[in-house]
Amino acid sequence: MTMAARNMKTGIAERRLIEEAGAPGFAHAGWFDKARLAALDSFEAAGLPHRRLEDWRYTDLRQILEKRLARVEENSGRSDAPAGLLDAVDAYVALIGADGVEGDFSALPEGAEIMRLGDVLDEGWVRDAMDASVFGNTDAPQAAAIIDLNTALLGGGVAIHIAHGVVLEKPIHLAFSGNGTRHLRSVIVLEEGASACIIESHQAGANAFSDLVSDIRLTRNASLTRIRIQNDDRSAIHLASDRIVLGEGAVLDGFLMTLGAAVSRNQSFVRFTGEGARATVNGVYALRGSQHGDHFCLTDHAVPGCESVTLYKGVLDEAATGIFQGRVLVRPDAQKTDGRQANHALLLSREATMNAKPELEIYADDVQCAHGSTVGELDRDAVFYLRSRGLDEASARQLLISAFLDEVFEAVTHEGVRDILRVIASEWFIQERGRHHE
Amino acid sequence: MLEIKNLHVTVDGKEILKGIDLSIGAGEVHAIMGPNGSGKSTLSYVLAGRDGYEVTQGSILFKGEDLTAKNVEERAAAGIFLALQYPIEVPGVTTMTFLKTAVNAIRVARGEGELDAVRFLKLVREKAKPLNVTDEMLKRALNVGFSGGEKKRAEILQMALLDPSLCVLDETDSGLDIDALKVVSDGVNMLRSPERSMIVITHYQRLLDHIVPDRVHVLSGGRIVKSGDKELALELEKSGYADYAADAA
Ligand SMILES: Nc1ncnc2c1ncn2[C@@H]1O[C@H](COP(=O)(O)OP(=O)(O)O)[C@@H](O)[C@H]1O
Ligand SMILES: [Mg+2]
Repeated sequence: MTMAARNMKTGIAERRLIEEAGAPGFAHAGWFDKARLAALDSFEAAGLPHRRLEDWRYTDLRQILEKRLARVEENSGRSDAPAGLLDAVDAYVALIGADGVEGDFSALPEGAEIMRLGDVLDEGWVRDAMDASVFGNTDAPQAAAIIDLNTALLGGGVAIHIAHGVVLEKPIHLAFSGNGTRHLRSVIVLEEGASACIIESHQAGANAFSDLVSDIRLTRNASLTRIRIQNDDRSAIHLASDRIVLGEGAVLDGFLMTLGAAVSRNQSFVRFTGEGARATVNGVYALRGSQHGDHFCLTDHAVPGCESVTLYKGVLDEAATGIFQGRVLVRPDAQKTDGRQANHALLLSREATMNAKPELEIYADDVQCAHGSTVGELDRDAVFYLRSRGLDEASARQLLISAFLDEVFEAVTHEGVRDILRVIASEWFIQERGRHHE
Repeated sequence: MLEIKNLHVTVDGKEILKGIDLSIGAGEVHAIMGPNGSGKSTLSYVLAGRDGYEVTQGSILFKGEDLTAKNVEERAAAGIFLALQYPIEVPGVTTMTFLKTAVNAIRVARGEGELDAVRFLKLVREKAKPLNVTDEMLKRALNVGFSGGEKKRAEILQMALLDPSLCVLDETDSGLDIDALKVVSDGVNMLRSPERSMIVITHYQRLLDHIVPDRVHVLSGGRIVKSGDKELALELEKSGYADYAADAA
């Protein structure tokens, strides 16, 4: 049965998405066909999320997609800096398009594999990683529901497996680009004691709709550094959900930079299943024009003795909107949890908007948790001070913006990428202001 | 160098300076003294071009040009330097990065071209040494966690690096113990030259023992109520500002 042949009760946006996706090309593993149909049913029943759902209060996806599908936007451009700068990083590069994974992986060490997801769908580790039941009692079902859309319409993706004890010295760079609508899945599994750094760059074209899900499993004592730079065209829609499970003693060092897309929503679901694990889920967003960037982070401490840090910092210029919805959930057994979460935003214009909702939900008593949220403007006294020393106004503001964001860059462990992030940030304000005033 | 005529300045709709006349020749050092709230800092901000200080009457000529037509950074490039009464803390920006950015911004504006890293470092070391500004201080975020003395020494270092032709020092002595006062005043005296003029704002006479002025003016209630030579400062030390405050009210 093809997707289009199903009798649909859903709205225009949903139907368009399903028709566009057509019959998915790659997946005929029995288990997945079933999972796909089940996901389609629940997606059809629930429909696209809308603002009456608390988790989607600030990002009405139904309305956004309905509007977007009704008309084609102009290419609104983007900064070329990230793509160019990242080329300089010595890495195993995999180009991820709508229909495949390209790259020369012959130099990968024994035990490290990068594959087309469709080719390995039947393998146990892939199936386990894509198994949502570990998130079955997620505390954010409304947010997680959108993953059904990806499962139902999945058209491709990448699978990465790092075997027991393998330490990858060079990073893997997953370069996402392309146009149109893409529903892609990344499955990343690090077996016991394995270690890797995975960089993702996103450069989707005008009007692209990227629907991405990453299923990540870090087995006992595995360690993953994951750095993402989202720089889609400013007419694009970017939807990304990460489901990350950390076993005993595993370490996740995650960083996201949101620069592009008209509308972006990043969801991170982190779940600890073994003691003594540590997760950093950090991010920086720099948005302008009418860009809308939503960051949703749920960290689920299901077992004792784990540590999580979420630090987001953002700058919003012109009429941009930033959203941060964070929740640290500490379940009754999760004693000795250390959970910290904060979002700090700078508004550079009166038209910019920030909505922040950090929450702690704690059911254990012996824990250390903290959260914070601030929204401010550039310090006018500091701008005057720097100008009185000869810096022009844009340079003074840029210097203060870079200084504000630097705390998050400082925590990025890959030195080469950290420098690149700093360059991108240090040029963002001046470059864009310059462009707008040409 | 500087020619101020009948200057009236309003802040938040309130007139603070009510007709100031002041003329400073090249190489001269003028002290401005006066009670708290008399408008000393306001005068310094007007010269630096800070937002919110509105000139409602009168004129300021600097090297023969209308200063009020220039924005803050243009005034800095033209040679105005204001050492703040309360230097502002700038977290995340190291003092060294800030100094390099400032020096090169000013050099470019003056058509001198940027200094490369090596020549810049040499220049900073040379100017920092007599002010006891250590490498460790230069690595810290600008003014963040600096003691009162460190902040003032950092201000004088900036002044030395930016090579201004009019230095305005706003209560540079406040918060300094006697040793720090000596270091700072020695630093300022080293910068005295026939091409460089200075306005030294202070509440107390003691700074003027170290930085000896050519002229002393008493500012009270937004007006210069008395001018004289350095003896005037000694007189004030004895009699206080009470007489002048009464005049102004
Ligand atoms: N931002 C402001 N808004 C309103 N009044 C101000 C402001 N800043 C200073 N003033 C007032 O201006 C007067 C002069 O202040 P200031 O120049 O700081 O005096 P001084 O430096 O001589 O102590 C004071 O009465 C003060 O209260
Ligand atoms: Mg003052």
